Amino acid sequence: MDILKQLLGRLHPLVVHLPIGFIIAGLLLQFVDRKKKEFTKVISLIYLWGAYVAVLACITGYLQYLGEGYSFNSVKIHLWSGIATALCCFILWARLATVSFAAMLQKIPVLVISGLLFVLISFTGHQGGNITHGEDYLVEPLPNTLKAALGYPVFEEKEIVLSETDWESAVFYTDVIAPILNNNCVSCHNPKKAKGELLLHSEESILTSGENGPVLTAHHPEKSDLFLRMELPKSNDRHMPPDGKRQPSKEAIKLVETWIAKGHPFTTTIGELKLPKSLFAPYFPKSEVMDYPPTEIAAAATDSIHYVKNFGLHVAPISERTNYLKVSALNLPTFTNADAPYLNAIAPQIALLDLGGTQITDDICTALAKLPNLTRVQLDHTQLTGSQLEQLKSLQYLKSINLSYTNFKEEYLSVLTEFKALEKVVLFNPEHHKTGTEYMNHGKTAVEYGNYTLPVISSDSIVY
Amino acid sequence: MKSNVERLIAEKLQREVAAKTRRHFIKQCATGMGGLALGSIFMGCDPLRPQQAGTGTQNGFTERDLNPLATLPPPFSPRVKNVIYLHMAGAPSQLEMFDYKPELAKLNDQACPQSFLEGKKFAFIRGTPKLLGPQATFKQEGESGNWVSDNLPHFKKVVDEVAFLKAVHTDQFNHGPAQLFMHTGSPRLGRPSIGSWVTYGLGSENQNLPGFVVLTSGGKAPSAGKSVWGSGFLPSVYQGVQCRSKGDPVLYIEDPEGISRDLKKNTIKAINEINKKEYAKYADPEILARINQYEMAYRMQIAVPEVMNINNEPDHIKEMYGVEPGKESFANNCLLARKLVEDGVRFVQLFDWGWDAHGTDPSTAVDLGLKNKCREIDRPMTALLLDLKQRGLLEDTLVVWGGEFGRTPMQENREGKTMGFKGRDHHGDAFTMWMAGGGIKKGASHGTTDSIGFAGVDGRVSVHDVHATILHLLGFNHEQFTYDFQGRPFRLTDVEGEIIREILA
Repeated sequence: MDILKQLLGRLHPLVVHLPIGFIIAGLLLQFVDRKKKEFTKVISLIYLWGAYVAVLACITGYLQYLGEGYSFNSVKIHLWSGIATALCCFILWARLATVSFAAMLQKIPVLVISGLLFVLISFTGHQGGNITHGEDYLVEPLPNTLKAALGYPVFEEKEIVLSETDWESAVFYTDVIAPILNNNCVSCHNPKKAKGELLLHSEESILTSGENGPVLTAHHPEKSDLFLRMELPKSNDRHMPPDGKRQPSKEAIKLVETWIAKGHPFTTTIGELKLPKSLFAPYFPKSEVMDYPPTEIAAAATDSIHYVKNFGLHVAPISERTNYLKVSALNLPTFTNADAPYLNAIAPQIALLDLGGTQITDDICTALAKLPNLTRVQLDHTQLTGSQLEQLKSLQYLKSINLSYTNFKEEYLSVLTEFKALEKVVLFNPEHHKTGTEYMNHGKTAVEYGNYTLPVISSDSIVY
Repeated sequence: MKSNVERLIAEKLQREVAAKTRRHFIKQCATGMGGLALGSIFMGCDPLRPQQAGTGTQNGFTERDLNPLATLPPPFSPRVKNVIYLHMAGAPSQLEMFDYKPELAKLNDQACPQSFLEGKKFAFIRGTPKLLGPQATFKQEGESGNWVSDNLPHFKKVVDEVAFLKAVHTDQFNHGPAQLFMHTGSPRLGRPSIGSWVTYGLGSENQNLPGFVVLTSGGKAPSAGKSVWGSGFLPSVYQGVQCRSKGDPVLYIEDPEGISRDLKKNTIKAINEINKKEYAKYADPEILARINQYEMAYRMQIAVPEVMNINNEPDHIKEMYGVEPGKESFANNCLLARKLVEDGVRFVQLFDWGWDAHGTDPSTAVDLGLKNKCREIDRPMTALLLDLKQRGLLEDTLVVWGGEFGRTPMQENREGKTMGFKGRDHHGDAFTMWMAGGGIKKGASHGTTDSIGFAGVDGRVSVHDVHATILHLLGFNHEQFTYDFQGRPFRLTDVEGEIIREILA
């Protein structure tokens, strides 16, 4: 008997579609027949059938509630509105079929009952859907802004904030593991969704929930499903998060493994656990190496860019993300000091400039000093001696200067110590005697003299 | 009876055909053709997908319409602008160069445990082979203390400049497919090579030179043929241009006998005049593109032989690389690679043949022929790194070194027999590659292999991961860099690839 009850209960999601179908068919027929009133008998019969199957749906629904362990509170509204729908369906049948025992119904306009039935069937259906699919089923695909406007909770990404100085004082669970779980797992494993009956949103639930028992075994990541499932290859069906969903990084999985291996502590700091820095280094803020100043700049006018391009210089943005430009005289070896005014129109945007192999002389520095955002400049294979380099002192972003194969005079090197941002100077010249890399400005600026050689060694001539 | 039915059917068909007039045909064509056109108007299945690279318009058509090699900015801030890829065709033995396995030396000549062999396929090994200890002595070098064998005495000096990948793996164990996989992201034909992707995505800054140049040495082209620098489904203008280091750098680049440079110039001038008139009439950007191509080809006739001439290099540079002018050599190619990158060539691909150390004869023995191959590349590749460094080019260039797979810790036993020379079979489970240059963490070593060097145990990276990392350094997100072909977007990394952040600075 119990089996039958459960089986019937499980048929509820199927049976409910019958009253929906009949009622919608009845409503549509009423609309089609609104003038001629030829089908009233058929329509009333459809509503009678609708009422019968609505009762059946109510019974199976009640059995499902008993058999599947729903709390009464969660199904209450759906249950009562379902019964109301069945009742309303009977009333509409009685009104249309002009049944003798319900004569008083004839005073109510048909349209009112039909309208009520339509509202009831829609409402009940929606409530039922909410029970099986979750309340946010329809809202979930909406963009976050719209969800927030409708008053639904929004999935918030938690960032792992660690730094070079305070990483040891961070609490391992709260500051590292919780954000990893939140960003990769919690959207399915939360009190509302609870896939696999696993909840990963709070400390207690992580330890206790899960349909196959707890997912953590202290000190044994190799016995903990939480880690094992993430570690599996993506092609494996048991891999979590499922293929297609956001995946935790290799570093994050390693951290989860470490956390379990350390006995999944919730309050201990990283420093107390004596964990190596390398585990957390990927989360330290990175100072991105860029070839242009950190400030934003307005785009150069298209006309100006064309003007410079048509002259023969190569001009292009450094990347799609910035308006700073790279300008190169690669295809214009005839470029001279006198051509420098061509750069004026795009002067604020130039961050990379390659004038290597051109006819420029020391006086070009006057023009270069007018490029406030110049970050890297190549002046190699030219006649420069460095006598005017002093003028570039004002360029606060200038990071590297290439002066290889020039007539650079060592006496001007001291000028470069006053350059604030300078990291690299290339002075390679086969006619010089210096070799290798030297450092100045307290190690901040590397001076590359090059002139590397690979002396002949005995093995060079041994043929096996 | 049967023939009657047949006759009836035939008559029916006849009538049907007769009833169809030309008008019907044309009318039906209209829907069919319209449907076909609709497909391209809506960009395949996704009408919202942005169009292909370089479709910002100017005067109705793009710079790319006129010149397919026009530069485009990378989507993200790039760390390097050029790539030099050194491929040791035939697969160098990591166990005699970089992956030091003292444990393997102890197990020398012992039968390989069955656990390693189960479920594995080898190109030539049959039955139970014997383990073969490292046939070179290793030392830790530089400040990084990374292992390098005595086969590479010069390279030891620059070991702190490079980052090693010790546990690269591939799923191919034959040269052709493995080389294709390494360079196109697929072991089957038809995909564009890395260099093609990069030139398609970034274009080339030098107007007088191709954007993607290929140089080969070692006497043979790679087994996979020219497809390893092919453009696949990308427009063929992005394929690698193979330059020979002997004779004419590019075949047919010289003017034919009796045709002077002036005559050539006038011919191209005349053709372009006609083309310009055609353009005035039809305004088809294809015509402008063609005009550009003629002019570029004309300029290349001068520029290519010039850049490919190493004789003008000073002696101290020639000595550093150990070049052999007039011959085809890896040293010459390394020097050329530097010259090309210096002149703004985007992607330079070097293939050196002769690394297939099976041990079938002295030239392929890991203790004889392999040592010769190591000597041939040791000085040039070290010189290349130092030369790029002293010119300030290394920070803008990525140098990649590797083969298509690695070699077995076991001695090859072709046909199950003991062989006269010491050789190793093809092996894709773990091999070494290295990268150097802009954005690379100097002196890093990522990944480790098990005690005999059979498989990676930690830090395993796939061929796709290597590709993702190369594209990342050039300023691309490998997951977003796509080209539409056969109704879907294609990527170099297919549906895989993770950036190897461990070797990034």
